[in-house]
Amino acid sequence: MSDLVIETTGLRKEFRSRRGGLRVAVQGLDLAVPRGGVHGFLGPNGSGKTTTIRMLLGLASASKGSMELFGHPVPQSLPAVIDRVGAVVESPKFSPNFSGRQNLLLLARTIGAPTSRVDAAIETVGLTGRDRDRFKSYSLGMKQRLAIAATLLKDPELLILDEPTNGLDPAGIREIRDTIRDLGERGVTVLLSSHILAEVQQVCTSATIIGNGRLLASGRVDELLQGGASAVRVEVPDPAAARSVLEGAGFAVTPTISDEPGLLVESEAPADVTRALGEAGIWLTALTPVRRDLESVFLELTEADTLGHEHGDRPTQGGAA
Amino acid sequence: MRRLLLVELTRMRWRRAVLLLLLAVVVLPVVFGVARAWNTQPPSDAELARVDQQVAEETARPYVQKELDRCLAKPQRFGLQADDPDLQAQCESFVLPQREWFLYFETLDLVQERDETGLAVVALVSVLLLLAGTTLVGHDWSSGSMSNQLLFETRRTRVWTAKALVVFTVSLVLSLVVFSGYWLALWAVARSRDLPATTEILVDCLQDGLRGALVAAGAALGGYALTMLFRSTVATLGVLFAIAVAGGALIAVLGIDEQFQPQTNIAAVVLDGADYYVSVPDECFTNRPPQGAVCDQEKVLPARNGALYVGSFLVLASAASVVSFRRRDVP
Repeated sequence: MSDLVIETTGLRKEFRSRRGGLRVAVQGLDLAVPRGGVHGFLGPNGSGKTTTIRMLLGLASASKGSMELFGHPVPQSLPAVIDRVGAVVESPKFSPNFSGRQNLLLLARTIGAPTSRVDAAIETVGLTGRDRDRFKSYSLGMKQRLAIAATLLKDPELLILDEPTNGLDPAGIREIRDTIRDLGERGVTVLLSSHILAEVQQVCTSATIIGNGRLLASGRVDELLQGGASAVRVEVPDPAAARSVLEGAGFAVTPTISDEPGLLVESEAPADVTRALGEAGIWLTALTPVRRDLESVFLELTEADTLGHEHGDRPTQGGAA
Repeated sequence: MRRLLLVELTRMRWRRAVLLLLLAVVVLPVVFGVARAWNTQPPSDAELARVDQQVAEETARPYVQKELDRCLAKPQRFGLQADDPDLQAQCESFVLPQREWFLYFETLDLVQERDETGLAVVALVSVLLLLAGTTLVGHDWSSGSMSNQLLFETRRTRVWTAKALVVFTVSLVLSLVVFSGYWLALWAVARSRDLPATTEILVDCLQDGLRGALVAAGAALGGYALTMLFRSTVATLGVLFAIAVAGGALIAVLGIDEQFQPQTNIAAVVLDGADYYVSVPDECFTNRPPQGAVCDQEKVLPARNGALYVGSFLVLASAASVVSFRRRDVP
């Protein structure tokens, strides 16, 4: 039995515009998702994540390449394996005039699942009491929960979730995160596509990062976080003067990415930074070591890919970043 | 497949817009039938007595009697023969006021109803079922729930077929019940009024109903297939409207024979043959027209030809729909 639940090789998807132009959404993507655990699937908007998922599920056809689910080639063998796969693709899509329960009942009857499984799924996602209301009266968060309930009707071995926490409030996000983590621990393989990188870092054991339809990095999350230069965040009364001094001393300096004040200085030794500033008569108000997180890895890779793409360079292929 | 059929049947049952259209399929023919029965009511005894009195008054007028005398004296002037043994009766019927001069009422004639209201009811039901077919599946596309269904049943041909079977079967059964009810009711009304309503006429009417039900179910299937092709109810109705307008204009501009017009072919299927008119050479209107059928303006389009015409469109639409659904990406 294969250790990979999802495997794509050289996967490519082209869209032809009405004017005859060609847009490549996915180009030669090699994706490997191991059995068990939660696997993050990351990439900027338009990088080809949803298109890849839609191809895997048979909703879109691949222009080139091969795909396998549980070692079976898809889409040819999709009817044989689809009962083992639960999926939420993009926004939840149900009949707005049917109740949440009616929507689930139709899907359950399609696969011959008993009504008790509908009840259980509704309870699992916390929609009991609202399940007989019309879908169109649901908040976005409730719609997301219903979509997750639909995936549970199959008792899946593989769960593919495309932005499952969209529109959820913080408590809802936490609930979904706990549900995903719980499913991962119970042996269900989860492929989680999300923009919320902090969330992915908390939940996922492994991740794949793509950009412009190509693989940028893949591996265990802790492996992805290794490497790259260490940095410190420096807060000073006069950032411009401090930047000039530090750059003069040979440090790489950038303003911080987030809203936090100060400068980001690449350095293995914080003492060197304080010494350089002190000698110039600039006194620190704060100095904080910055740990490399998935967001910084993601931004490094995708920004580099964007620049490479603009200059026509080949992107970094495969392996950990 | 059985499971899918039940799911689609349930989906249809739960979709309110479709149910309203199906309700209209039942109610509107009932209204039609009641209106026909009402409008063809025989006059009441009081009305007949009033008319008889009016006839007697008019007959008693001097100029009427004078006219009767003139007819008896010079029947040739009235187009009658002087040696006719029934001259008195002939002149009376010619000159004296008659009941029907003062009393107009329509009689329920089942043979005539077949060509007129029967065809109208089939057309009405067909349009409603076409709308039901498009509405049922158009909603799946507009809500995006089609992709959700395909995550549970990936065999697209099966999904298409299950939906098509439900649309066609429900439409066929419903329209068959409605048309049979319509004709049975009108037949019973005609019998109760001692009008000509033989079993043969009833059988003819019911056969019209059966063929009409096939046309109506075909319309529903066509609406469904086109919506699966265009993926939108609005787009389907727009295309059908454009075809109706542009097609009609094209037929008029190109002077295409009436036998190629959709309504003639549909009428041919429902009525087991339909009359249509063709233009004939100018020589046909001279004193010495050419011999043979070339001057026959009225022709009959057989039901077989009509079925071939309508069926071809249905098969083409269905084939394009299945191929498109199998191949195109689903949003």
